[in-house]
Parts: sequence; structure tokens; C-alpha cells
Amino acid sequence: MYNALNFDRIRKELPGVCMTLGLVAILTAVLFALVWQLGLAHGSVVFLIPVVIAATRWGVVSAIVAAICGVLASAFFFYPPLYSFRIRDPQEVLDLILFIFVAVTVSQLATRLKRQLEMARQREIDLRDLYAFSRRLAVAFDVSDIHAAIEDHLATIMQRNVVLFASAREASKSSGRRAGVTVPERVLTEVVEVASGHRDAAGGATVTAEGGEIWLVRAVSPKSLEFGVIAINLGRESKEHSDELRIRVDAVLADATATLERLGVAHAISEARMRSETDQLREALIGSVSHELRTPLASILGAATVLSAAPALQHEKKLTALVHDVRDEAERLNNDIQNLLDATRISSDGVKPHAEWADPADIINSAIDRCRNRLEDRRLKIDLPQDLPLIHVDPVLVQQALVQIFDNAVKYSAPNSRIAISARARDGRLTVSVADQGAGLTTAETSKIWDRFARGERHAATTSGSGLGLWIANAFIVANDGRVSAASEGPGLGTTVAIELPVTQAAIPQLESDSDE
Amino acid sequence: MSEPSPIVLVVDDEIQIRRFLRTGFELNGFVVHEAGTGAEAVRSATLRPIDLVIVDLGLPDMDGAEVVERIRSWSSVPIIVLSVRSSEAQKVHLLELGADDYVVKPFGMAELLARVRVALRRQMRAVSGEPTVKAGPLTIDLAARAVLLNDKRLTLTPKEYRLLQVLAQHAGNVVTHQHLLKEVWGSIHVHDTHYLRIFVRKLRQKIEPHPDSPKILVTELGVGYRLVQSGAEGDAGSWSESTAAKTES
Repeated sequence: MYNALNFDRIRKELPGVCMTLGLVAILTAVLFALVWQLGLAHGSVVFLIPVVIAATRWGVVSAIVAAICGVLASAFFFYPPLYSFRIRDPQEVLDLILFIFVAVTVSQLATRLKRQLEMARQREIDLRDLYAFSRRLAVAFDVSDIHAAIEDHLATIMQRNVVLFASAREASKSSGRRAGVTVPERVLTEVVEVASGHRDAAGGATVTAEGGEIWLVRAVSPKSLEFGVIAINLGRESKEHSDELRIRVDAVLADATATLERLGVAHAISEARMRSETDQLREALIGSVSHELRTPLASILGAATVLSAAPALQHEKKLTALVHDVRDEAERLNNDIQNLLDATRISSDGVKPHAEWADPADIINSAIDRCRNRLEDRRLKIDLPQDLPLIHVDPVLVQQALVQIFDNAVKYSAPNSRIAISARARDGRLTVSVADQGAGLTTAETSKIWDRFARGERHAATTSGSGLGLWIANAFIVANDGRVSAASEGPGLGTTVAIELPVTQAAIPQLESDSDE
Repeated sequence: MSEPSPIVLVVDDEIQIRRFLRTGFELNGFVVHEAGTGAEAVRSATLRPIDLVIVDLGLPDMDGAEVVERIRSWSSVPIIVLSVRSSEAQKVHLLELGADDYVVKPFGMAELLARVRVALRRQMRAVSGEPTVKAGPLTIDLAARAVLLNDKRLTLTPKEYRLLQVLAQHAGNVVTHQHLLKEVWGSIHVHDTHYLRIFVRKLRQKIEPHPDSPKILVTELGVGYRLVQSGAEGDAGSWSESTAAKTES
């Protein structure tokens, strides 16, 4: 069991052995003084003290060292002839043999006690982690929460880099960088193999990566691949040590799987996956249908505008009104389709802003311009200070968000009511607020208006809409590192929607110097 | 107008779009040629004299951008592109390839006509060498290097004048940020959009009656700036109409 050439082992034991030697030396000095002063004899039993201390503190090697040193010190200092390792009296030889026997037994017992104590402590830590893990699982909201919980649990327990892949698809799509851990190519390939069920999932396999690090790849649960596949970086450990780690991984995963199975997580995961696939299908469908609808709309809208200006219709008031209806309705339909397209874009690809330096006044003016027709019969009050800072955002996204907010303000307010648009820069943020005198919000509505498909129940019968507008506005602003908020004094008292965007003061002062030459 | 009817080439694969464009243009005194594919468009543009081309970006046989590039390789005929929304980068690319302007689908006839008139007028000015550009109350005399607001001469810094000059040379059409930055500050500054923003703000203080809501030097978000022209054909309403009638989403 003890490999004499194992330097690691020696290095580990060295402090204990040194302490033991020191302990024995001090004890010998004290005893020597006592024997000299008081004439005590036979101090050998006292040497059991360092043996017991060494055994409980530093392990069996130190204890044996303590016993040997004790015997040598007794023989040298206390048994005649003094200052020689020889012993004259056979009785004293027997004493020493007895001492050695007791010392070895005591050291064995003490070491075993120590090991049990350590195991109990480790077990306690494991249990605490497992408890924390199951508590996290109990509050887990979706599949990714559960996966994060498994990942973190393993990482804490193993003190190693752990990456969990939900499926073969995720692993093959992954670039190898996950949560700050780089997973080597070879390991990724193995993960894909295991996750596709091509390997025997139970035991897992070790892969030696390009850098010489050993990775363990195995399914979280041997019974089902639903829980995903983990890759653990075992480091450059020796074979024995990595076997030890593997046994620990097995134990941890057995616990984790038991918890997962008890909570019925497998079922939940497969259900959630099915749901997300349905979502994807729906998004794709909405996307393509919207696109198909837009093409004929372009003809309808264009033809309607040609008709509305046609000389033949100039004196036909009723027909002109009809043509205007066609145009307006087509425009409305186009807006709805655009919202659907935006919504699919947000949920399928996410929003990718193309940031550039923009003048907030430009964005606001352009949004007002886009809504000119709809804002026609509202009293606009625009308050834009001349020294607004430039902002680094995607101006088109911010404009589209503003258009949605204006739209909403118009939709829920009466003709001739006031809509106040203002912008202020303060504390490194730019705030654009849009205040109407319309229907206002109840407390319940305030918390819900940014949700997808949220529609005010009070107005469901009287106003049209898909409930997507503000959700889109929110997504566009959040993509630009901003946030939106809505406040209202109450139903009927108007709503104020505010957009906050970050202002970064960079590169602007340098311009002043070369502005006029 | 006593001058001959302008000839416009409409390139779109959708027959319905071509039909309403033909009717709309003919009602406004244009002669219309049609092409359903890119190849047909390029051939048609070489065979007959044409005053203006309208190109849809989604053609069955080649990208609209390629049509623009091919026609631009031998002709300076004004080209207006029919684009889709949420592709500012694409618009910029097309303008750099030589398109004069774009209209976002779906669009109203009034908006397209306004763009077409601007492009034709610019072409005419280029031919006749007309040195002054009027935009609302603003007059830019490119020959005398003078800028007048309500007939009062303005004092501009050299860079402010240069900026206005570039915009006036493309009066009515959108000019990309990159083009303006290159012309005014040099090619190493093509990405320093904030230079432009600050400068335009200063310039608007001098030339706009209401700098808060600019009507002369207008911003095309994510693309560039446009010097909105008016007055030349007596349709003073067209420049306000062209912004009001924007139907893009």
C-alpha cells in the first residue's frame, strides 16, 4: 500500500514526521531533566504520549516514527548503560518490547478513529451538497435550471471543471467554450457519441485531450439519456487517482439521478423539450406565413395608393373613401404582420443590434415621423433639450421601439388628448418618456403590459391589437442595454412609458479640437 | 410640362407590382418599360434610352444588387431600389454600389413618385450644370460657394460647407454616413459616425428654422442623411408629403 518511492506521499507525510520528531525531542529533554533532578526511572511509558498525538493528528507513519524514536530515546537516555543503545537488564528489554506492541496498537486504533472522523465529515459535506442540490432542483424552473444545478453540484463536489451537454445536438453545435471552460475537440466528439446512444452509457469513457489532460465523459444517468452527458476534467492525475475520482463521480451521479428520478425530472425534461420543439415549429410557421402574406400586401397597398390619386376617382367621394379604407386597412395589416415577423425574429434568432453613434433627437424625430398619420389628431408636446448626449445604440431598433410605444399611446387615448414626448440625460442614462392622457393602468396591468400577448382586459372589446407591440419594444430596448418602464396614476389617468438607455461618454471631447479649422 | 415624357424601366418579378407601378407612372405622365428578370432588365437598359430604373431586390435570376452594379458599370441613369425593411446594411451597400435611392416595401405611389422626381431633377441638373440647389428656405450656390437662408448669407466653417456641398450635390437623395465621412474628413474616418452627428447638430442650428425638428437636413436612421429639396416643379407639398406618406411598417 505504501510505495516508498512515491515522492508525493513523502512530501505529504514530512510535516507530520517532523512535528513528531520535535515532540519526541522535547519530551526526551523534559524527561531527562526530571530523571536528573528527581531521580525518576523508567520513563518509557511516557513516550506513548507522542505516539497517540502523532496517530490522531498526522497518521500512522508519524505514529510509527514516534514509537521508534521513543524506544531509541529510552534505550539511549534512561536504560543502563546510559548513552548507549545497548540494554543490560532482560526485564527492561521485555518492557521495551511491550512498549512497542502497545505503541503500534494504539497508533492503529487512533489512525482508524481519525479516518472514520474524516469520512464522517466528508459524508456530512456530501449530504449538505446533495441537500442543497435537491433544494435547487425543487425550485428549478426549466430544463436549463436543472442542468445548471447538476453541473454546479458536480463541480462543487469534485472540485473539477464540469460541463453538461443536454443533447448530442447541443454538443455538436457547441464551439467548445461553455461557462468559462474550454472543452477540447476530442472530448466533444466523444460527448456526441455518448449522447447519441452509440456508446455504452453506464461506465463512461476517459479521453486524453491534446494537452494531456484526462477527461471523463459519461451519461448522467445510465438508464436514460434525457439527463444529458457530462464531461469532467480530471486533470493530469495518475491512473490510480483518476480511478478514485471515477468512483466518486459514480457515487455523486447515483445520488443525483436518484433525486432526479424521484422528482420526475426525466418526464419534465422530455416534455419541455417537446414544447420547445413545438415552439420552434410555430415560430417557423409564423415567419414563413407572414412573409408570404407581405408580398400580396405590397401590391394591394401600392394599387390602393395609385387608385386614391387617380383622376377618375377625384370626384367620386364615396369611392375615394372606400379606396382610403383599403389603403388604411392594408397598412394596418402590414403593421400586424411586421409585428409578427419582429416577434419571430426576437424569439428565434434573438435581436442583434448594429450599434452606432446616434443623436437621440434624430431617433425620436424619425419615430414621430413614422407615426405622423396616427399622431395627427393628438396634441403633441415635444421637449428635447439641445445638448442631449450622443448614444451608442442601434438607432433603428430604438426607433421601432418608440413607434410601438407611440402606437400604444394613441390606441389607448382619446382624440385631441395630449401626448408629451420628452428626453432627459442624467447620471449616465438617457431617459425618453412618452406620457399620454389615456386609459391608464391598473396595478395588475402595470406588471403585465410587457408580457407577450398581453392585452388589457378592460379594452379587449374596444381596441384591436395582438398584444405584441410593447413586448417587442421591450425586447428591442433590452437588446440595446436599456430598459423600459411604465407608470400610471391609475385607470383613466394616463400612462407614462419611459425608455432608459446608457450614455457612454467616449471619443466625443477629442472632436472639439479639430472641429473648426 | 412641355418636355418629353420621362421613360422609366420597372424591374420586378411580381406581375401585380409591375401593373400598379405602370398605372401609377402612366397616370403621372411617364412612359413605362417592364422587365421581369435581371437579365431582361440589363438587356432592356442597353437597347433603349431610359431616364430612370426601378429595381426590386428579389429577382429570380440574379440579385438586385447585381443589376445595379451592371447597369452602373456603363450608365449614369438614376436607379431606385425597392428594398425590404430591417436591412439598413443592405441599403448602405446598394447606395455604395451606385443606387441613387431606395424605397421600402410596401410603399405608396406618392412616396415612390417623390423619390423618382428627385432623382430625375438631379440628373437634369447634372446635365445642365445648374449651380444652385434650393431646399426649403435654404439656397446653396455651389459655384459661388455661398449658402443663403431666406436670402441672408450664412457664415459656415469650411467643413460645414463641405458637408452641405456633398449633400447638395446629391440633393434629395440619401447620402450614406461613410460617403459623407470620406468626403469631409478623409477615408481614415469612415467609421467615426459621432463626428458627423456633432457636426450635423451644429449645422442644423444654422440652417434649420426649427433645429429641434429638422425639415431640410433629415436623418435616415442607420443609413445617412438627406437634403430635402423642394420647389423646383412647383410641388411644394411633395417634400413634406414624401415624409408624411411613408408607409414602411
